[in-house]
Amino acid sequence: MIHIQDFTFRYRESERPVVEGVTLDIPAGVFAGITGAAGSGKSTLTYAMNGIIPHCYPGDFYGTVTVDGVDTCTATLTDLSRAVGSVCQDIDSQIVTSIVEDEVLYGLENFGVPHDRIEARVTEALEAMGIADLRERAIASLSGGQKQKVAIASVLALHPKVLVLDEPTAELDPASSRQVFELLAAYARDNGTTVVVVEQKIALLSEFADVLIIVDGGRIRFAAPPREVLAHSEELLELGVNCPRSTTLMNRLANAGLYTGPVCCDVREASEALLEVVA
Amino acid sequence: MIEFRDVHASYDEDIKVLDGVSFQIPDGEFVAFVGTNGAGKSTTMRLMNGLLKPDAGQVLLDGVPTTELKTSQIARRVGFLFQNPDSQICCSTVREELLFGFKALGEEGPDAEAAVDGVIREFGFDADADPFLLNRGTRQLLALASIVVLAPPVVILDEPTTGLDFRECMKVMGIIRRLNEVGATIVMVCHDMEVVADFARRVIVMSAGAVVDDGPTFDVLRNPHALGRASLIPPQVVDISLALPLMDERLVESPVALANTLDEMQAAVSEEAGR
Repeated sequence: MIHIQDFTFRYRESERPVVEGVTLDIPAGVFAGITGAAGSGKSTLTYAMNGIIPHCYPGDFYGTVTVDGVDTCTATLTDLSRAVGSVCQDIDSQIVTSIVEDEVLYGLENFGVPHDRIEARVTEALEAMGIADLRERAIASLSGGQKQKVAIASVLALHPKVLVLDEPTAELDPASSRQVFELLAAYARDNGTTVVVVEQKIALLSEFADVLIIVDGGRIRFAAPPREVLAHSEELLELGVNCPRSTTLMNRLANAGLYTGPVCCDVREASEALLEVVA
Repeated sequence: MIEFRDVHASYDEDIKVLDGVSFQIPDGEFVAFVGTNGAGKSTTMRLMNGLLKPDAGQVLLDGVPTTELKTSQIARRVGFLFQNPDSQICCSTVREELLFGFKALGEEGPDAEAAVDGVIREFGFDADADPFLLNRGTRQLLALASIVVLAPPVVILDEPTTGLDFRECMKVMGIIRRLNEVGATIVMVCHDMEVVADFARRVIVMSAGAVVDDGPTFDVLRNPHALGRASLIPPQVVDISLALPLMDERLVESPVALANTLDEMQAAVSEEAGR
């Protein structure tokens, strides 16, 4: 679905490329998680996927980026936005109306969705994010978590083939963060949507992502199932990426010769593995 | 000492945010407030630094109600780090930003200049840099530095690690820990339960405008009932430590059932596996 070949990008105002020599394939229906230290090039990679680069940020663009078979350099941003739904890091910069229902309607009307289908699309998107009860609410009265869900619902209503989300849970409490990931994963599974999420909460990525991509200094250091990537906990720490504590614990026990099983990605796996260690 | 006595607060008559909150925070504590979005944590912080006054009950700073203190008197005692550093950065260079607090308090002079120079060195800032061109993590550090430089006895931090990567998070939290070690009272709102477990010595759990648990960090983080009421998930090692005795009752009295940290759990498992 997303094919990036030898991609290098230098913003006009910066001296050096922010992303350099990246080649990456994200097949259709895959849930991909991207993480890495601040300034490593994570957001720039997502801008390349949704066409913000090169259409909004000028700079030197090398290589090719195609989404659903379309070259992002030759397609218009309008056409790209029909295939790729994006949720920004700063939710307030994305929200344009004052009532939840209007916010979800806004994109549908702009995309010329026939009037008789709009009602069902709004209801379906709000239900997918579990916020049908907020339909009539003023957006200014919502909590950060609720606003985040409204922004995602307004993108889901457009039925994008690809969803690109930049730190969608940054301001959410642990329960709401997990709920957003659960809702996203369920929606993607039911609709075959490809999901790309930039996120610092590695425990959530480890649990929900099919592919974990670690970016460092504008290059991809790892792109593999979380279990394979998390086996390198020491190296990840050097890159500024801290593994989930459950993974670190089991990796430490493996290094001490007390555990020989596969890498653990979450609390449940670690607890089950520990039961055998102490049996 | 910060004291809340049966504090009620609302943003207008319809939306009650705090419903009878009481606690005391003695000098030198390191307290984390945890709870879901909308539980009333940020409102509690705003009451502590006088940005908000209670509808009923009292908020006392060293025994004096905040309603009887001027904003400048509170500002000298209580430093406040907003969740978003852009809410407090307002100057065109790092140096001016760090001097801003002294100017606002009418305390400019050689001592202020020396304090700013010291903080610039300690944090490794470029004094002439434009704050708004710095990355998110460095802006957060600058916002923190502008509080550190005034050396207030109480520092309130609303989500100090949001949006930071792991290294930036450890740097910010390391500075906060050092402030506490030299005597500052730290009150922090934090969603990251691993950070809470690593740094706070006391945890106050809030849910729907009320305090539902309050105690030493691991007593609270090991209380599934209180955390459940606030829809919180314990830190992972605590979660494992609580889960294992439920999966195998022979582990109920074992050291793994008491382990709170990575080091404790590693030692406990080694001991248990060696039996």
